[in-house]
Parts: sequence; structure tokens; C-alpha cells
Amino acid sequence: MNRYLYDGTADGLFSAIAWILEEEPDPQQVALAERKDTLFEDGFFISTDATQAEDLFFRLRKQAPDAAHTLYSFMLAEKEGTESSLLHYISLAFIHGDKVNGHLTHPAVRDIVSVAKKAGRELHRMKGLLRFEKLRDGAYLAKMEPDHNIIHPLAYHFSRRLRAQHWFLYDVRRRTAARWNQGALQFGTIEQFTAPALSDDEKKVQALWQAFFKTIAIPDRKNPRLQKSNMPMKYWKYLTEKQGE
Amino acid sequence: MDTLAKLQILSGAARYDASCASSGSKREGPACGTGNTSSSGICHSWSDDGRCISLLKLLLSNDCRYDCAYCVNRSSNSVERASFTAREVVDLTLDFYRRNYIEGLFLSSAVMGSPDQTMDRMVRVAETLRTEEQFGGYIHLKIIPGSSSELVRKAGLYADRISVNIELPSQASLQRLAPQKHKDAILAPMAMIGREIASSLVERKSNRRAPRFAPAGQSTQMIIGASPENDFQILRLSQGLYKKMNLKRVYYSAYVPVTDDNRLPVLAAPPLLREHRLYQADWLLRFYGFSAEEILSDDAPHLDETFDPKTAWALRHPEFFPVEINRADYGTLLRVPGIGVVSAKRIIAARRFSAITPEGMKKIGVVMKRAKYFITCSGRSFEKPDRPATLLRQQFLIGESSALALPTQLVLPGIFS
Ligand code: SF4
Repeated sequence: MNRYLYDGTADGLFSAIAWILEEEPDPQQVALAERKDTLFEDGFFISTDATQAEDLFFRLRKQAPDAAHTLYSFMLAEKEGTESSLLHYISLAFIHGDKVNGHLTHPAVRDIVSVAKKAGRELHRMKGLLRFEKLRDGAYLAKMEPDHNIIHPLAYHFSRRLRAQHWFLYDVRRRTAARWNQGALQFGTIEQFTAPALSDDEKKVQALWQAFFKTIAIPDRKNPRLQKSNMPMKYWKYLTEKQGE
Repeated sequence: MDTLAKLQILSGAARYDASCASSGSKREGPACGTGNTSSSGICHSWSDDGRCISLLKLLLSNDCRYDCAYCVNRSSNSVERASFTAREVVDLTLDFYRRNYIEGLFLSSAVMGSPDQTMDRMVRVAETLRTEEQFGGYIHLKIIPGSSSELVRKAGLYADRISVNIELPSQASLQRLAPQKHKDAILAPMAMIGREIASSLVERKSNRRAPRFAPAGQSTQMIIGASPENDFQILRLSQGLYKKMNLKRVYYSAYVPVTDDNRLPVLAAPPLLREHRLYQADWLLRFYGFSAEEILSDDAPHLDETFDPKTAWALRHPEFFPVEINRADYGTLLRVPGIGVVSAKRIIAARRFSAITPEGMKKIGVVMKRAKYFITCSGRSFEKPDRPATLLRQQFLIGESSALALPTQLVLPGIFS
């Protein structure tokens, strides 16, 4: 089995995969891993070529749009040590097109699809569960600690929904932030986060929402188990309606 | 009264079923999740009873001039009354939407003053949201029966979905239980909405800029069990509504006793199983090519309690079966118990390449436990096809006694296939 290495970046990964698909007669028999620079590391290093990487993704999107989408979701999970699975999955996708996702008996496909599903599910969930707070300067801030690195697609979603507002998303765990202001979306990192002051009416609006949340439930049909399975407790920390519970 | 106190009264009033004001709201559950009613299908929270919260569900007012026997808000009942101003609802909606609490607004109301007065204020909410505030979220307005067609038209231009509740399945029942409501006041706006939706669709074909009228369609709701109509009458009514009024959905709501008015039946419990069976039959009308007259008749006007309506039909029509899986057309496949819309389509697609085997049927998602009595697969049958119907009924009962638990009211319609 041939073994290849790449530099650990996403571009490096995809250019390596592009190279292997081009040069190797049977990519299913090839392994790919991140170069760790240990002394006796075994494998052939493929250098990074960003245009190759982009080209690969572009072609995949054309030939197998669902697979490309799966791949995108998979990358949000930031899983380590999955390069070979990715390589095998992509090579299959170029052969079978979108039908690849039905090929669940193949271990690589199963891995990629199940991880991608989880990431996709969290992204969808956060579109509903994210909570903004209004700051004193009129901007809105939403904090979150998702399992997957979903800030990009999430920010994109809100850039279409809350167009007229100036807002920030902040991923507390990864210290990354997104900012939307007057039609421009930016991403960055925040090393030192200090909680900004809330606007004067913020607590009042939150109290209204909490009241609505309480009254809308039918009292004699309490079902905390169902509630928790739909809305796992790990998300409660930033949910306005779950404060003080 | 401050906004918080009003919100508590008027969202609380929107949570129960049996008032025109609020009814249908629980059935809009699918609006956020499984149904095809909502623009994006996002749940923003789950309330303590486990239901998805997606819309800000409110009554504009619960201060009702009418006196419908089945409703908590009827004028003769003593409950605390409150009414929002249009501005209050607009601000609540915007404040909640901007913080990502909700997908939009679901506004209904009791009749305060006159129908027009009420409708006017509701329309003002939607108009302000759309024109002054550029609100792009979801709006569902309930039409107050008896309001002017001008207001109804405006409501349709600003809202994504509008609905008029039919309330009770017949004029006689309306007269008895909701004396201030008239059949015409309910049907006229429905018919008009149906026409407007149709013509706006036509217009938009030639002119993409033409205004959209209630793009998410029209729905209605009726209360089941508060009046004596049988299932056949109800289904025929729904069938007419789908055909003539361009309706997307009819929602059925089991009557939950809220008062001991002597015009109302005394029920031990809300007729939930009946509600469930009606949803199943309704599904057959909309997606399975059945007519109300095939499902029920004047001689047998009630839906079977033991069997879902499709199985009941199959048991009454042994001459239709067995159906050959590898040859039958789509419409015929759909009539087989255990085969739903999805599996019927899959069967059609799969047999293009090769004949379907019994193994393949399971993979496709056919419920063999049920279907096996009604099909052959390349000529091979699974059960003796000449089994007398009575025996078959027995067999089903034994096989399914455990699965026959009473559905809870929170089961969303359409989950069965
Ligand atoms: S009109 Fe009738 S059903 Fe509607 S709120 Fe008033 S009393 Fe209740």
C-alpha cells in the first residue's frame, strides 16, 4: 500500500487527494496522513497547491453535488486522522456520482456520511437555537459553543435573514467570530473577549420571551424528556428561555 | 395593563384548541417541523410539553363579543380580558425575530367590537411589519368571519398564509353552538381567497412582479365531536373544500370540553382516535386518489375504529386484490395497505431495472406484515388470497393488538403511510 503525506492544511489535503486521484491507478489502496515531521516518518510528501485543491472541489461539486455537500459538512467536524477515508470517499464519488452516499456498506462512505450528518444536524439546530442579545451600541451578539465548527455556514444563514442588523457571532470554544455590518461578512478570531454591556431594554425583551415560553406549554402535558431530546441540555447555556433553570 | 401581562393572557389563550381564536394552532405544529407549510422549517425552541416553537402565537384580543358555546373566550364566560394594540404586536414580533427567537407571527383574535374592527387591526399589524419595518419573516393571519372582502384581500397580500375556520361541519351546528356566526360569512372569504390565490398564481406566470397572494396557501379547521355530524358528512365537506376552495389543508380538532353548556355533548374524553382516523382519511383524499364516497357511505357513515381507513377499504374490496407488484400502476399500488406514496414510487422506479423480489420489497420500505395479504410478487402469493374477509380481520386484530394504542393528541397528522 502506498502512503502519502501532506502538510496538515485543508488546501494541502485536497491538493494531495487531487494528485493521488490523478497518479494512482487504485486510490482505494492508498493511505494518506498528515506529516508529523518525526524522524522515520514513512511516506511520500505531496506539496500543497491551492489551485489544485480548489479545482478538485469545483469538479466534485459539478459531478456529485450531494457528495460535495456531504464533504463540506464533514469538514465542519474537524475530525483528525480521517484523510484516508476522505480520499477513498472522494474517489468513489468521482466514479459513482451522488449515488456514493447510498454505498453505506463501504467503511469510508459510512464514516464520512455519518459524521457529515451529525454536523449538518447541529448546523440546522443552531439556526433555530442561536440567541442574539442587543448591546448598548445597538449591535447584536450571539454566543455559542457548538461541537462542530459551523460558524461560516451559520453566519451565512444569518446574513440573509438579519440583513438590516449589525451583528456578531462568537464561538466561545474556538474563539472565532463572525461579523455582519452593512452588507459585509467578516471572520476573525478574538483573543481576549470582554462581555460588552447590554442595551437598556434587553432584559425586558428577554423577560417577555421567557414569559411566552412558559405560557405556551400546556401545563398538564409536561414532557421534559421530549424537550431534552429535541433540545439537548448542552445548548441551554446560551438559551434565553432556559436562563435561571 | 403592560405588555408582559397582556402577553401572558393572550399567548395562554392561543394554546388551547376550541376557540376560533386559537384553534388550529396546535396543528400548525407541522408548520415548523415536518409539514410543508413553513418557509424554512426551523424550530427555535421546544416548550416544556416538548412541542416545537417556531412562531409567536398570539391572540390580538380575547375580549369577545360572540358567545360560542365551545369556547373559553365566549362573552358569557368570566376570564380576564386583554387586547394588544397593533404596535405592541409589531414590536414583539420584531424584538423576537431580531434575537432569533422565532420564524414569524401567527396572529388570531376574538371578535372585539365588530369583525371589521378586529380584522382591521390584524391587517394593520401585518401591513406595518411588511411595509414600514421590511419584515421578511413568516406571517399567518386568521380571518375573522364576517369581515369585509377588502380586508381579507389585504390580509392575503401581506401574509404568507391566511385561514378561515369553518369551526363546525354544518350550518345547523353553527346556528346552535355559534349563533353569531353564519355559514356564508365563513364560506364567502374562503371562496374569495381561493380565487385570489389561483389568479395570483396565473398572473405571476406572465408577470413575475405581480403581487403574491398568501403564497403558503389557505387552510381551515373544524371541531370534531362538539356537534352530531358523522364522519361521512365531514369527509365530504373536506373533499368539497379541497376541490372548490383551493385549500391546502383541513385541520381537525377533537373537541376538548371547556364548559358545561347544555348545548354540548358530555364527553368522557376528547375524541382523539376519531380525530386521528379523520386525518388518515383526509390523507387518502389528498394523496391516494380516494374519494369520500369510497371511504364511507350513508349506510356506513363512521370510520372504523379498529382499522385505518385504507385497510378498512381493502377488507371491503377483496375483488380488487391481489395486486401484482411487478405490473400494477401507481394508483393501484397506492391502494395496497402497507404501501405508501414513497414506497409506491420506489416500486415503480426499481422495477424498471429488474423484477422486484420479496426481499426487495422490504428494502423498499413496504410494510410486509400488512401488505402480504394483498399482493403477489411475480405471480407468487404470500398468503392464501382466498381467505375470507372475516378471517383476515381476525388475523389483523391479533397481529396488531399491541400497535393499537390510542394516539395522543400530540401525534402530528400524516405520520402514518
Ligand atoms: S368568536 Fe366564538 S370561538 Fe371565536 S373567540 Fe369569540 S367566542 Fe370564541
